[in-house]
Amino acid sequence: MMRSRATIVAGAAVGMLLLSGCSASGSTEASGTVQFLGPEDPATFAPVIEAFEDEHPDITVEYTQVPFDQYSNTLQQRLGAKDESIDVYAVDQPNLSQLAAQGFLEDLSALESKAKSATSKAQYEINMYDGKMWALSVWNSTQLMFFNRDALNAAGLEAPTTNPDERWTWEQVQDAGRSAQEAGIDYGLLLEQVESYYQLQPLAESLGGGSGISGNDMLSVDVTNDGWIQSMEWYGETFASGLSPRGVGGFQTAPVFSDGNVAFFVGGPWDVGRFASDADFDWGIAPMPYFEGGDVATPIGSWSWGVNTASKNKEAARLFIEFAALNPDGALATSEATTIIPANSEAAAEYLPGLEEQGGEHASGVAELMMSEIENTAVPRPVSVGYVQFESAMNKAFADIRNGSDPAERLAEAESQIENAWSKLL
Amino acid sequence: MTLASQIDDRDGRVRRAQGTRRTRRRHWRPALVALAFLAPALIALLLLRLIPAAFALWDSLFRTSLLGGTQFVGLGNYVALFGNPEFQNSLLVTVLFTVLINPIQVAISFLLAVLYTRRAAGAKIWRSLVILPIAVPPAVSAVLWSVIYRPDGLANAFLNLVGLPAQPFLTSPQQSLASIMVLLSWVGVGYWMLFLIAGINDIPRSYYEAASLDGASAWRQLWTITFPLVRRPLAFVLVADTVSNLLVFAPVQILTKGGPEGSTNLLMYEIYTRAYTLGDLNTAQAEVVILVLITLIIVALQFRLLRVED
Repeated sequence: MMRSRATIVAGAAVGMLLLSGCSASGSTEASGTVQFLGPEDPATFAPVIEAFEDEHPDITVEYTQVPFDQYSNTLQQRLGAKDESIDVYAVDQPNLSQLAAQGFLEDLSALESKAKSATSKAQYEINMYDGKMWALSVWNSTQLMFFNRDALNAAGLEAPTTNPDERWTWEQVQDAGRSAQEAGIDYGLLLEQVESYYQLQPLAESLGGGSGISGNDMLSVDVTNDGWIQSMEWYGETFASGLSPRGVGGFQTAPVFSDGNVAFFVGGPWDVGRFASDADFDWGIAPMPYFEGGDVATPIGSWSWGVNTASKNKEAARLFIEFAALNPDGALATSEATTIIPANSEAAAEYLPGLEEQGGEHASGVAELMMSEIENTAVPRPVSVGYVQFESAMNKAFADIRNGSDPAERLAEAESQIENAWSKLL
Repeated sequence: MTLASQIDDRDGRVRRAQGTRRTRRRHWRPALVALAFLAPALIALLLLRLIPAAFALWDSLFRTSLLGGTQFVGLGNYVALFGNPEFQNSLLVTVLFTVLINPIQVAISFLLAVLYTRRAAGAKIWRSLVILPIAVPPAVSAVLWSVIYRPDGLANAFLNLVGLPAQPFLTSPQQSLASIMVLLSWVGVGYWMLFLIAGINDIPRSYYEAASLDGASAWRQLWTITFPLVRRPLAFVLVADTVSNLLVFAPVQILTKGGPEGSTNLLMYEIYTRAYTLGDLNTAQAEVVILVLITLIIVALQFRLLRVED
């Protein structure tokens, strides 16, 4: 009994010593654990976390993944409850205004000059709201059209090229897709984020429908103009006619292409690496199409990282996002395990030639194409404090139009849903 | 009055007072002990149920604007909700769902329970197979069924095998709610069956033997012996099943997001999207209050029916 009591006392003393040791080292420099929340697979961020931990041995980064289609809601739920177990989180760029207005993002204006010199003007400005900077851009994006060359050959069709001047129209893609289907492939066309605004906004933009949000305060919704209705009629028809498959969920789409079941697939740079390893047929890359007689519009924008205002370890959290966004080595590490363009300009210049190498002969010319799209044809998503409600109502409308709802009626319904949601919140 | 008698008198009063205190203590003690035993449950009830419910009710009377502050609106959120087509649709879908799924699940559970309590070859193995889906978490079962319901999935492959045309399932506003009901019953029926099996096994075998001697058919035995004697577990299953079906969330979130065209927008999912997608917590709290009221009304009705039968 005596001995066990002595052991407890000795143990407690050692524990106290260890604790005091920890706090002594913590007082001089940031340390401890940084909890990081994002929508990507954990393997994606393993390299940047490892590189950061090598540089800061006193800090450990723990990453948690929340699937993309639940990400925005989970953030609202947890940040709204002042959840201290999130220090750093990935911010879908158009959601930044609302997150900042809600007080869920730490003001990072102190890093403004560093951020300005590290990335492009567009990627710097996207993190500004109300004259302050709230996050740091980590990635950038664009969309590409992948095609199954074997399927096109089987149908006796000539494949598109990577040259933006020879960009195909959606009508061309539709005809070629149908011919490929007749020659035996299951589907003609599939968009990767099949029910998401990010990928479908360019369809309406191409026909002059605009982003859907307008006005000085960016709080007027207009998704019932001719551009929107016409583009959604075309989109709904691709499913009604069997050119595209119904019932395949948002992020289950890439395997449909890599399994060789669809002729044309519109996806992101991240698919280059995936298809290089998964697809065992001949494939190639072309620019994202536009409507005949319409404008060329391609998506842009990606993820920034910000610090949670409820975090208890803000110093270490800030060091981590600075490393990933402002340090070229760190930025490069964020795209080591996936094929995505770092927002950091220096890292991007180093990264793009490597991406082309990774894609092999199928992806030749992809680096140049991506840079050209980002510079010349990119149309960003609207910056509005009501974007979250807008996107959610639009994504539901896209899903219904895909399943056969009348586009004009469904868009009108979405418009009134958005107006209703805004009237209650703003 | 002498000093001695005064002392006697005082002693008497003291004794009487002590006596009353003792009786009162004796009288109070069981109540205090009972309260002490009940305390953990009462505290949990208070902290986990009543206080959050009061908060929900309180919050539902306010309106919080993203850019402005919070203001008291009284029953404004409730009035707005009943004029909102999405909420009206959600109420309708929830009522339709409740009216259909509960009788179906209870009836199937009851029939399976009767079947698997018969002494037949392999009854225990079949029983285990029916119960097995309980072990699958709701989210996993939803993902599993998303593959089954895909256009090129297992369900259409099976239909094709028996010569029937492919069905749209989750992508059709007419079939999506029924598809979700099938998924939920796959999980639920085995679970509720367990309670009914326990009830049936409690019925003394001698009743059946006597009925057999009197020449009662199996059908007659089922209706006049089994059914009346499992009425209590059956009532429990009906009430618990109804409550659990009013709280369905995961399959809707994972498979349909309330669509197509709001055909699977059950109240729980409607509350979730209003709170966390649209960011309108106050109106979502009003919906919570309405859902609780609906649940209370249905459960009260079911208990009343049970009492009449008794």
